[in-house]
Amino acid sequence: MTIRHHATDETLMRYAAGQLPAGPARVLAVHLGTCPCCRSRLAEFEAVGGALLEAMPLAPMAPDAFAAALRAIDAQPDDAAAPPLARARTKPATPASLPGGVPLPAALRDCEIGPWRWVGLGVRASTVRLPEDRQARLTLLRVGPGRKLPEHGHVGTEFTQVISGSFSDGYGRYGPGDLSEMDQEIEHQPIVDPEGECICLAALEGSMRLNGFFGRLVQPFVRI
Amino acid sequence: MKDDGVPDGAELARLIGLVATERDRQAYARLYSYFAPRLNAFLRKSGLPPNTAEEIAQEVMLSVWRKASYFDPTRAGAATWIFTIARNLRIDHLRRIRTAAASEDEQGEVETAPSGETLLLTAEREARVREALKTLSAEQATVLRLSFFSEKAHSEIARELGLPLGTVKSRVRLALGRLRVLLEGHS
Ligand SMILES: [Zn+2]
Repeated sequence: MTIRHHATDETLMRYAAGQLPAGPARVLAVHLGTCPCCRSRLAEFEAVGGALLEAMPLAPMAPDAFAAALRAIDAQPDDAAAPPLARARTKPATPASLPGGVPLPAALRDCEIGPWRWVGLGVRASTVRLPEDRQARLTLLRVGPGRKLPEHGHVGTEFTQVISGSFSDGYGRYGPGDLSEMDQEIEHQPIVDPEGECICLAALEGSMRLNGFFGRLVQPFVRI
Repeated sequence: MKDDGVPDGAELARLIGLVATERDRQAYARLYSYFAPRLNAFLRKSGLPPNTAEEIAQEVMLSVWRKASYFDPTRAGAATWIFTIARNLRIDHLRRIRTAAASEDEQGEVETAPSGETLLLTAEREARVREALKTLSAEQATVLRLSFFSEKAHSEIARELGLPLGTVKSRVRLALGRLRVLLEGHS
């Protein structure tokens, strides 16, 4: 998979810093799962975090804090010698694959994938619920081949990760693995390429910013 | 260990290794005295009230003890690893106060196969990042540092640099662009 559209430095920095909201963070996690280039850039921003941590002035802990830490350690069974285990997760009803036999990205395996519903214009949508944030708005979209979407702008940034198929807009062609970050000031008109339907994962940043095209589409399915 | 008593990256990694394999409390004490006050300051800076910052700094240090065997020097330096623990616990804390259900998920865990070269690459990356941070102009370093800490910091940057808020976003981008040039230039 040749990835041509990557996360911006700003988004990677915010993800590294823990500042990206849960929905966009998952879209980026799916991208990172397919993109070694962005993984390595993320590692750089995490190293920035390490460097900033080391450069902090000291804010002393309470005088008995270290003694309290030792007491907490003694009070707990020591399991550090045990080999790292995959944590057992409560598995929601999640299909192993998406329509058309497309594998579900690993970064979505602990999510609850809702049923596909028509939202008009040759578009079907499925709501993705995150275990860590039930309020997060994340949507899988299936858009039919050749579908031209109305031109639209955004109030917040729209993060769209292509899982299968492709679409094009004035800024390029987005294929499997590509990430599109559309800023509020940008107007764009995505057209799904004629070869087949396009499945993508989309999240809008911000809780009340549903004016983007995908936002308007999925609005009926999102609790506000 | 250097003469001034401040442990360098290799020494910190060695201490974490001792905690992992020997459950060495002296090594842990040194890690604690080095990182806990920095974590405390870092978490305050990221907008947590002082009590909460100290609680989470303590939680981070307990995780360092419990998870020391998960530390993989081929993936991250010691401070970077501890930073990501603090980041994840801070996210968990913010979600816990927003929704009742706490999450044990860790952000950013991506499977990668380590190779023999990765330890060197990781050390090289840590050095390159630190060098780049030193080379940024004072203003760019400030913009980067502040934007790393919180969303709200955009208004803080505006105040600190005497800039209109609208200019701050583009300054952040400029600072990141400069950092990118420095990072790529050394690779
Ligand atoms: Zn990428």
